[in-house]
Amino acid sequence: MDLQLAPLGSAAAFLAFGLALYGAIAGMVGASRRDARLQTSARLSAVAGFIVATAALVVMQVALLTDDFSVSYVATTSRIASPTWVKVVTMWAALEGSILLWAWLLSAYTALLAVTAPLNPLRPWALSIMQWVQVFFFGVVAFIANPFELVPFPPLDGPGPNELLQNHWMMAVHPVLMYLGFVGLTVPFSYAMAALITRRPGTEWMTQTRSWTLTGWGFLSAAIIAGGWWSYEVLGWGGYWAWDPVENVSLMPWLTATALIHSVQVQERRRMLKPWNLILVITTFSLSILGTFLTRSGVVSSVHAFGAGPVGPAFLVFFLVVTLVSFGLLAIRWDDVRDRADLDSVVSREGSFLGVNILFVALTFAVLLGTLFPLLVEAISGDKVTIGAPFFDQVTLPLWMLVLLLMGIGPLLPWRRAEQQRLKHNLLWLGGGFLVAGGLAVLFGVHKVYPALTVALAGYNIVSLGLLLSGALVPRLRLARRPALQVIRSYAHESRRRVGSMITHFGVVVIALGVAFSAGYRVDQQVRVDFGESVEFEGYTLTAVDRYVERTPQRISAGVVIDVSRDGRLIHTMRPRLNQFGDRRAVPTPAVMYRPSHDLYLNLNSQVTPTTTFAVLRVVKSPLVTWIWIGGFILALGTLYSLSGSSRTVPARASVGVEARGEEGASA
Amino acid sequence: MRLQRLLIPLLVVGALGALLVFGLLRGAPDKDIESVYLGQSAPGFSMELYEPYHSEYGPTFDFAEYAGRPMVVNFWASWCLPCYQEAPVLQEYWRQYQDSGVLFVGIHTQNRDHHADGLTFLSQFGLSFPNGYDPSSEISIDWGLYGVPETFFVDADGRVILKHIGPVTPELMDQQLKAMLQ
Repeated sequence: MDLQLAPLGSAAAFLAFGLALYGAIAGMVGASRRDARLQTSARLSAVAGFIVATAALVVMQVALLTDDFSVSYVATTSRIASPTWVKVVTMWAALEGSILLWAWLLSAYTALLAVTAPLNPLRPWALSIMQWVQVFFFGVVAFIANPFELVPFPPLDGPGPNELLQNHWMMAVHPVLMYLGFVGLTVPFSYAMAALITRRPGTEWMTQTRSWTLTGWGFLSAAIIAGGWWSYEVLGWGGYWAWDPVENVSLMPWLTATALIHSVQVQERRRMLKPWNLILVITTFSLSILGTFLTRSGVVSSVHAFGAGPVGPAFLVFFLVVTLVSFGLLAIRWDDVRDRADLDSVVSREGSFLGVNILFVALTFAVLLGTLFPLLVEAISGDKVTIGAPFFDQVTLPLWMLVLLLMGIGPLLPWRRAEQQRLKHNLLWLGGGFLVAGGLAVLFGVHKVYPALTVALAGYNIVSLGLLLSGALVPRLRLARRPALQVIRSYAHESRRRVGSMITHFGVVVIALGVAFSAGYRVDQQVRVDFGESVEFEGYTLTAVDRYVERTPQRISAGVVIDVSRDGRLIHTMRPRLNQFGDRRAVPTPAVMYRPSHDLYLNLNSQVTPTTTFAVLRVVKSPLVTWIWIGGFILALGTLYSLSGSSRTVPARASVGVEARGEEGASA
Repeated sequence: MRLQRLLIPLLVVGALGALLVFGLLRGAPDKDIESVYLGQSAPGFSMELYEPYHSEYGPTFDFAEYAGRPMVVNFWASWCLPCYQEAPVLQEYWRQYQDSGVLFVGIHTQNRDHHADGLTFLSQFGLSFPNGYDPSSEISIDWGLYGVPETFFVDADGRVILKHIGPVTPELMDQQLKAMLQ
């Protein structure tokens, strides 16, 4: 008899669950009894769990690639005609498979942590927490949404993955980035819990997890940008963000994680904001679970409906357990955690970090409220309401502007208290940057408030980056007797975190400009054009040349060929089309002409048959939209650059915990 | 003192939890779309039958020809996993009820160009009630299909009395067939 993949995969999932459960319990017992052998066995189980989880993953891949429809997940989501890359990524194209991927990534991080984390009182507890989280995920895989169920009468073929997801390669990227982000942020959460359990709420848990937090944050940022880009390339409305619940729930943990990576620095430097950081790390982790619950349970209606199922309640229970246990623990340990230092002055680095924290938490609250408000209203009055983009725009835009404002001034302020003279000098420069950029924007016809304000703030932020760089480089250049380039290079090399944060902030400025202009000055029009005829749009002449049909085993595409010319000169040929995958509904693939100044975006809104004589097109011109993706790359680059340095600083600081406690005692 | 502090997270999480449980129990608002034909005459159709049924029912099946008989109209596709679950149930009830006047009819739909896969499906389960195919998915559009499998129960007067979404179960078949034959 053939080797059956379904029972094999199920067995691996059960085993991974068992190993996680064993490791979680052994780790806790080992840690509380200080039993080194039990702790080691828990660590080994983390590594074994990763190996077994990898086996489950491989079984799933084999099943997908060999079209084994006796495996339930393959039967419900795959299709023989799909190209190989689609089959590979089909693993995370639906719920059960994506939870398997999530669980696997979690086991990979846990194993990595078990092998590489330096030994200290936090490690066994942190590993145990990671394994408890695994218990939940593998529990879902093994018992609630098992993708490896055996299909007694396997179908000959399956329906294939969701047509919108099949339609673009970015489906391969975005979910993985998202899970890498969520899983990465599980590490600081676990260490924070360990810190609370062991009553060591100093900076140890953060320095230990600094690079994990930043990695998680970087992946989450990249995931959100990639998600926006995917939606731009696929959904056919020419936008990238719609304040849909599924987008909001990915934004919320990002907002709190952003607040966290800033406020941990205050604790590292000033031993302040201890409880605040703990609250942030717990909230970030809880929100990532809440988000999964909201989008997988059908509780809030979203365009990305994943359908209801038993997974929803499981995530709800997990969310409630996580929040109750972690916030409960924080409440019990409150006396150990409370801050003893006070803010010396609001006008200081820590003051600005505090400000930006308040802004990010306010943003999180606004997004959470907007997302859950319809549910709240329905629970109270029974009325059904929807909260659309206008609410989110009105509430969050002023906050985003304030974030940009603080982003420019914050890094220029010294710790503790700013010196008047220096502050005035900086403010003068910043104000100049603001006015010059804003003035130029208005002069060149940017009369809308937010875009003009964004340009002004961008100018202000560029000046701020210039001041930061000159403040660091000028004294060095003066002192050093080396060529300027060498000095700059050695600065960039030594201060990786600092330079990385500058690059990241620059990426944010670029993204802000892209968002402000693409949202503020977007032109969106529906046109009908007969074949052989032309229409004018924003200085372009669009000529419908022909229609075409392409057939591949995977899909049938029917589209139109549009020649784009400007001033009588042909500059581009675009082919917007409709794709039909098997018998799923046809989905459009817009054609995008990427340009630095603006994109031209064509989406086919009518059927193309051999007898049609015209095409209906949605034509969108979005200024500067490409800069959002470029800004995303810059941001990711900056994060990567910061990380490239911190690997050296972490081990050096790993044993700071005990001294930190002593220091705190002294300062109190 | 400590217990008092626990109260705040308990209250906040409790309130949020209550709201989310409400959302969960309320269910998804867009599910369970009722058929517009409920209580109305079913839309007629005619389709090509699969070859094995030609000797008994002829090459084409015309809905109107069987007016006056209660009918179970089942839509399926060869790529649809739940269809594989329900096929043995349908065959079993057809075996039990075929002499009672009720007619079962299966329609292979939403699967253009995969006519042959349907034949394999039929022989795999030895379905003996008439099955045909709907290559352009016209019938499924006329009947307002949401997905496959869907099963319509039509009474002797030609009115749709139930549209069932998802695979049929023995309980459902028992209950509906008894009601239709009363």
